[in-house]
Amino acid sequence: MNQRVRALFRLFAIQGTWNYERMLGVGMGYAAEPLLEDLKAVDPVRHGEAVVRSAEFFNCHPNLAGLALGATVRAEYEGVPGPQIVRLRTALCSPLGSMGDQLFWAGLVPALVGLTVIGVVLGAGWWAIAGFLLVYNGIRIWTGYWSLRTGMASGMRVGAAIGSSWLPKAMEWITPTAGFVLGATVPLVVAWYLDGFGWAAAVGAAGVAVAGFALTRWFGPGLTSVRFALLAMVLLLLFRRIGL
Amino acid sequence: MSIVLCRVDDRLIHGQVVVGWGRPMGINLIILVDDQVAASEWEQELYRMAVAPEIEVRFVTVAQATAELGEWQSNGKRGLVLTGDLETMAALHAASPEIIHRINLGGIHHRPGRRERLPFIYLTDQELHRLTALEESGAVISAQDLPTTPPVALRNLG
Repeated sequence: MNQRVRALFRLFAIQGTWNYERMLGVGMGYAAEPLLEDLKAVDPVRHGEAVVRSAEFFNCHPNLAGLALGATVRAEYEGVPGPQIVRLRTALCSPLGSMGDQLFWAGLVPALVGLTVIGVVLGAGWWAIAGFLLVYNGIRIWTGYWSLRTGMASGMRVGAAIGSSWLPKAMEWITPTAGFVLGATVPLVVAWYLDGFGWAAAVGAAGVAVAGFALTRWFGPGLTSVRFALLAMVLLLLFRRIGL
Repeated sequence: MSIVLCRVDDRLIHGQVVVGWGRPMGINLIILVDDQVAASEWEQELYRMAVAPEIEVRFVTVAQATAELGEWQSNGKRGLVLTGDLETMAALHAASPEIIHRINLGGIHHRPGRRERLPFIYLTDQELHRLTALEESGAVISAQDLPTTPPVALRNLG
């Protein structure tokens, strides 16, 4: 099997050995091993050092770890001094962690879960759930592939590559989009539970969806889509309770 | 307003710092004191990516930091002083013990020779002795990764 494909498969298991001592470090080392194989013939001493470095402490969002893996492997082949590669790894923990959390845990996952719930409410049943699994994993696998390819292509210049990629733009849009979807989900689900779905609920859903989009855009990232959805749910149930 | 948190964390700027502490404490200035990062533009670019644009990030050397601590204490911003190692924080405390008074150990991870004291704090015995000496010289030191977890006093890390 191609070295990159092996590394990509191993990247999907990156959290398999998560621990407080090295966090994702051992998983990174396991994924780096096939990519570093060719270095053995060129410079066996460097290869040994590179394998050890690749398994040291590391932490970031698992779906974006390929950027750090690819960049550090390329730097090893380019003969960048070891301490500088260690610094690159440390510096990458920070943006890859915060961008990934915002993009996936606080954005894409709530947005897709909202769409799935809407699908179930509207009668799509298990198809909606299958669609969620397919779309989320499709995006996750594609992001893993893109991360590794981009990291390998940019090496020490990975910061500039991230800055000019789709990631910053996607982060700007994902929170308000998730707010919109969850805003639409909340009244639909409440109506579904309480007394079926009618025109009033549809208008309510549209209203809360627009409010969700606007508020999370203006008050983000403090107001996340999840917080907005919880607030909307509480307000709706309160209104229901006092008979509005 | 002033410097509201002094933190030692070898991961430097990351989610716990920006979101965990930054948001509840209303921090709008992060001062990263590290000689190597202060001289490296690509590292600064990466660290800046993790921080919302409304938060100012300053990358300074130890010498610059000791010279400017007084100004940060009175410039109207809520500042966080962040170092990647204990030596840098000890140097800042020595330069300005009133400002660098309470020190938060937020993340010191595994290295050969270090022993686990808390899941996020690994220290050699020598490092622990140095911290004890720092506390004897007037600093108040505790380990706490997030504001929502209870702080652990230095004497309980042994």
